[in-house]
Amino acid sequence: MWKVYKYTLIDLARNKFVGGWMLLLLGISFGLFQLEDQPVKAMLSLSQVLLALVPLVASVFSIVYLYDAMEFTELLAVQPLRRSKILGGQMLALGTALVIGVLAGAGIPLLAFLPDGASLTLLLSALMLTLVFVAIGALIAIRNREKARGVGLGLVVWFLFVLVYDAVLLWVMFAFSDYPIEPWIVPLAALDPIDLGRIMVLLKVDLSAMMGYSGAVYEKFFGNATGILVALAALFAWVAAPSAWAFKAFRRKDF
Amino acid sequence: MERVIFEGVGKRYGRMWALREFNARFVPGETVSVIGPNGSGKTTMIKCLLGLVHATTGAIRVNGQPVGPDPAYRHQVGYMPQISRFPNELKIGQLIDLMDDLRGHERNRTGGPLVNALGVDAMLDKRLGTLSGGQRQKVSAVLAFRYSPSVLVLDEPTAGLDPISAEIVLDAVRNIKRDGCTVLITSHLMEEVEALADRIAYLQDGTLRFLLPPEEIQAATGHARLSKAIPAMLTNTAKSHVESL
Repeated sequence: MWKVYKYTLIDLARNKFVGGWMLLLLGISFGLFQLEDQPVKAMLSLSQVLLALVPLVASVFSIVYLYDAMEFTELLAVQPLRRSKILGGQMLALGTALVIGVLAGAGIPLLAFLPDGASLTLLLSALMLTLVFVAIGALIAIRNREKARGVGLGLVVWFLFVLVYDAVLLWVMFAFSDYPIEPWIVPLAALDPIDLGRIMVLLKVDLSAMMGYSGAVYEKFFGNATGILVALAALFAWVAAPSAWAFKAFRRKDF
Repeated sequence: MERVIFEGVGKRYGRMWALREFNARFVPGETVSVIGPNGSGKTTMIKCLLGLVHATTGAIRVNGQPVGPDPAYRHQVGYMPQISRFPNELKIGQLIDLMDDLRGHERNRTGGPLVNALGVDAMLDKRLGTLSGGQRQKVSAVLAFRYSPSVLVLDEPTAGLDPISAEIVLDAVRNIKRDGCTVLITSHLMEEVEALADRIAYLQDGTLRFLLPPEEIQAATGHARLSKAIPAMLTNTAKSHVESL
């Protein structure tokens, strides 16, 4: 696996898109910290950008990269190594490249302008979302033969998580406001990884006005620190579940 | 002893059988040309052998080892696909290093058959994304022949190659066969089939119509040229099939 990882990473290191992604994040981050007079406000604005863009870029880039590498993956699959090692190496390399992009592009400005726990939590949240959406992207690329269909599906999944699911959750809360639905909000919010990332950041910043209902429920049920840990654990599950599904699909895949 | 054994191998996609009840035995030191119209099951058959496609029915053995989840048998297999694409940003030398590592061979970029003959040694620092289709085919040929495979699978190996490089690859096929390698080769070029094949496997609609030496096909049909003999053979086998009904 590490051989596939190493050479995939070398290929990704020279990939123009990965470099462009890092520069875009650097530009946005420095721009926000320059524009806002309070670093916390800039960090919150940056969190909105990261929580929306990171999943989009991670899933679509992973899908496109894995489709473009399909013939090479086929060549790897006729070498004497297990398929799980091929996919493991490729996914890990994709995760590493995009995580480095986020760390350099958003991490450096964040730690330079606001070196505190909230910035670290935002970074952690962005890194976890990167891994979650690399796994989701890999699953989509493996399960669908056509590139256009795969990319389209990636966009639909992103749109569902970034916007539609939140709207549905809000509607549920509104429609059932007369009932004791708070205990249901914890698992329901965990079904959206982007929501989990947002909850982690807002629990750390502790701005009740911005926390939203699901964040407030997490705070009420678990307190700030435990709430972050529960959200982080749920994000780990979000990395593990699509990865496991992708590995299973890859083992059975016909090229 | 047979090198490759197909026993009742079939592959179904949904309701359609791409390959049905394929039975064949290939021995060391023979070259088998796998031919047939588009969609006849050639690629499916080859991909079943390589483990790229999971057979729905039957079993395949390579040197007695089953084709399955255990990838050990692939140490003995070389493969040159029809279309080669590699990571754009890697250099040819790095690709060869990777394959050497995966095969457990000592790294030696300039060693091995065809590296020098196809001029790949002069391109080791070139990025794979900058190569033409023909240059990619040369790299692919180098990798296929590199690890002295006992089974070599070539899918349209000369497609996209210039005539001199094509001849070098065909010579390499003759040499490796002489060393006891079993070569399975798909081609649409009848001259290539005539030049290389010890036996011809003709597939149609996923079914093996015949697996015979060219001389037998020529003798049975009375045609010296395979381009005439094979269609005549198909007509003969169809007639005898109808008569047997």
